[in-house]
Amino acid sequence: MNCRECAEHLYEYLDRELTPDLEREIRQHLTECPPCGEHFDFEKLFLDFLRARCRAQGAPPELKHRILRELFDE
Amino acid sequence: MPTPTTPPSPPVPTPAPLSPADEAEKRTSFEREALVHLDSLYRVALRLTGNAAEADDLVQETMLKAYRAWEQYQKGTNAKGWLLTILRHAFINEYRRRTRHPETVDLDAIEPFSVFEELQDEDPQGTFFDRIVDDEVLRAIDQLPEQFRETVVLSDVEGLSYEEIARVLDVPVGTVKSRLFRARRLLQQQLYDYAVGMGYIKGSSTG
Repeated sequence: MNCRECAEHLYEYLDRELTPDLEREIRQHLTECPPCGEHFDFEKLFLDFLRARCRAQGAPPELKHRILRELFDE
Repeated sequence: MPTPTTPPSPPVPTPAPLSPADEAEKRTSFEREALVHLDSLYRVALRLTGNAAEADDLVQETMLKAYRAWEQYQKGTNAKGWLLTILRHAFINEYRRRTRHPETVDLDAIEPFSVFEELQDEDPQGTFFDRIVDDEVLRAIDQLPEQFRETVVLSDVEGLSYEEIARVLDVPVGTVKSRLFRARRLLQQQLYDYAVGMGYIKGSSTG
């Protein structure tokens, strides 16, 4: 595993989409190569930030009532 | 006087009315497996339409379609993916024309730069992210080209796997990967520009 190969799998690794073997290889490379490790840490931070900022919003309660009324005549 | 011999057939055959017990059972399973995904549907609808009233209508229509087709859904499988597919089709067929227009930009020509490389000296830990609020992030997502926006919303907002996203969008998994890569880089770039504009970070002279 070299740095270029490692970078190609960046998001697949962070999204837990790799096969266990490939995931192990990447993890190994990240512990041995500080620049790649820092880059992955940064991207992970970004994804965590992105997800935390976007997941809070929910449907307005009135919408649920509207749908229940429409579906079940409530 | 000419009389049509057969009435025009409806697009979907009307199912036989359910017995009250079956109707109650249908309602229970729909509430348990479909209505629990209301928040997810609403978040995706909001990002697709870009407006709360349209999002309400799109979600309501999705739920009605889903309820009518509930017999076709295989219980216990991926209800969220099934509902999102219905929502997306409804959006494309009925809402997109009225709200946003499909982009004409060449998505492959977009070459997003790596924010990490820009920040390696100034803020390699990305602490500037902490200062960016929810609304700003949602605004940045709304500015993405539609194909990138829907991919990033299904992944990062709703937590679907690549395979699930590929099914909802009806594209190969490889396409999901490349769109996700570009979408996230574009988002980083926009948020970086915003942070530079707000003075949270200095940024590079070329940026």
